[in-house]
This record gives sequence, C-alpha cells and structure tokens, in this order.
Amino acid sequence: MILTDREIKIAIARKLIVIDPPPDETVAFTSTAVDLTLDPSVRIPKQNVAGIDIVIDPGAPGYNSEEIIKRLTDPQTIPKTGYRLEPGILTLGWTREYVSLSLVTRIAARVEGRSSLARMGVGIHVTAPTIHAGFAGPIQLEIINHGSKPLLLRPGMRICQLIFEMTLGTPEKGYSGQFLEQRKEPKRKRGGR
Amino acid sequence: MRIKVQKIGDGAHHSESVVEIKTTGGGVERLVIATRSLQNNSILVGAPLGHKGKEVLVELPREAMSGTSRVWVSSKNLLEDEARVA
Repeated sequence: MILTDREIKIAIARKLIVIDPPPDETVAFTSTAVDLTLDPSVRIPKQNVAGIDIVIDPGAPGYNSEEIIKRLTDPQTIPKTGYRLEPGILTLGWTREYVSLSLVTRIAARVEGRSSLARMGVGIHVTAPTIHAGFAGPIQLEIINHGSKPLLLRPGMRICQLIFEMTLGTPEKGYSGQFLEQRKEPKRKRGGR
Repeated sequence: MRIKVQKIGDGAHHSESVVEIKTTGGGVERLVIATRSLQNNSILVGAPLGHKGKEVLVELPREAMSGTSRVWVSSKNLLEDEARVA
C-alpha cells in the first residue's frame, strides 16, 4: 500500500520517517508522495584523457566504488545560475534533505523522478530506487539527460519524489530482543527427543 | 544493535563517509554511510537476523560496495543501541 499525504505526515510526526529539513507542508506534498530538492553539491564526469583506458571491475579484491567515483568525477557546487547538464552525461547528485526510515517501521520508500523533468528526457536514478528501513542520509541521485538539449540544474529545484509504501510485516532487523530469542535454536535436553 | 566500523575515507558527497566492517573469515565489507549516523565508530544495524556460534548475521543500512546487504560478523563487534526505539 502506498501512503497518502496524510499518512506520510503522521509517520513524520511519529518519527518513523525523518526528512530534514522538513518538507513544506503546503507545496512539497502530493496525494501520494513528497517532493525532495537538489543539493548544490554534484560530481560531474571528468573529460576523457587520451591514453587512459579504465575498466571498472566491481568484483576485484579491495574494490572501492567511492575512490573510482572520485577519480572519474570532479566535485562542483552548482551556482544559482545553474549547472548545464548536457545530453548523455551522467552526473551524481544528492537530495538537499536528509532522509531516514526507522528500523522498527513497516515503511519502505522509492525515489522516483518527476514528470516535468522526465518529459525533457531527464532521469534521476539508474534502476536503484529502493530505500530500506534503517536507511539514513541524503539520497544519491544518478542524473542523466536522455534528451536532445542541455538542461539547467539549479540548487534547490524539485528533483525527485519519495513514495512511501507499507510493508507486509516488520522486517526481521526491526524486531526487539524478545522475539530474537525465539529464533535461536532451542537447546536440546539430554536424552530428550 | 550497532556494529563497530572503521572509517577509511570520505564519501563522494560532503555528508558521506566510507566505512569498513570486519566480517567473519577475515574479510571486510565497505559501504557508504551518512557521516551523522556514525557514532563512536559504530552504525545502527537493528536486530541480528541469525546466529551461528559466535557469529551473527546482520543487515547493513545500505548495500555494500561488493553488492551484499547481509553479512556475518563476530558478536563481539556488536553493541547495544542505547537509543533504541521502544
């Protein structure tokens, strides 16, 4: 079940969902989602350098994706005048909002794009939209312009929406100790069956 | 529960850190976390999902760089969460 605006606000009030800074109650909500905004910090790909050939190997011992991202991209702070996202360019961005889902909640979330940007060919994630219970932090966005024209990204613009869903039951990691004991293998009595 | 981690660097965003978690068998898993969720070199993982002797199965708050989410760790690397929600 997808949470409505009313249920999302109740979950925020109960601290099952944390969004910091809090969304503007008048304009950030839709019937079934909350809009999040773009943080000014992004990482843009470095220009290709002749003679350097890189193949990413996620299965390599000691693989460190963050080091690869730092090697292949430059940090940039988007000015108020905007950052020009060229067609075909993957830019890493983050939401301005810190989001966290309580471990004991029956709520998961999905980050999705906004139709106003999608119509221009701009996607904000690459097939990894799920926010699990226990997640905490700004949400990383993989922003790519599939359109034919450059698009200006501005800090604070509405970049994505969060859709919250009620799970069927509480995840195992959300149970407290009393239930944990039940999952331990019972000690067998000597001589018993 | 919280699990002991070691910060090994900064993330791609100024709010993020990269940490390592020791797994049983001598391995490590690396993952990106929000720096503000790092407390006393530990992060929240919730209740253990399984036990095998002194090994405990936990789910990480985010997918590790290897692609896994659940790892076996030594129970001595787990800490009680003082701020656990009732």
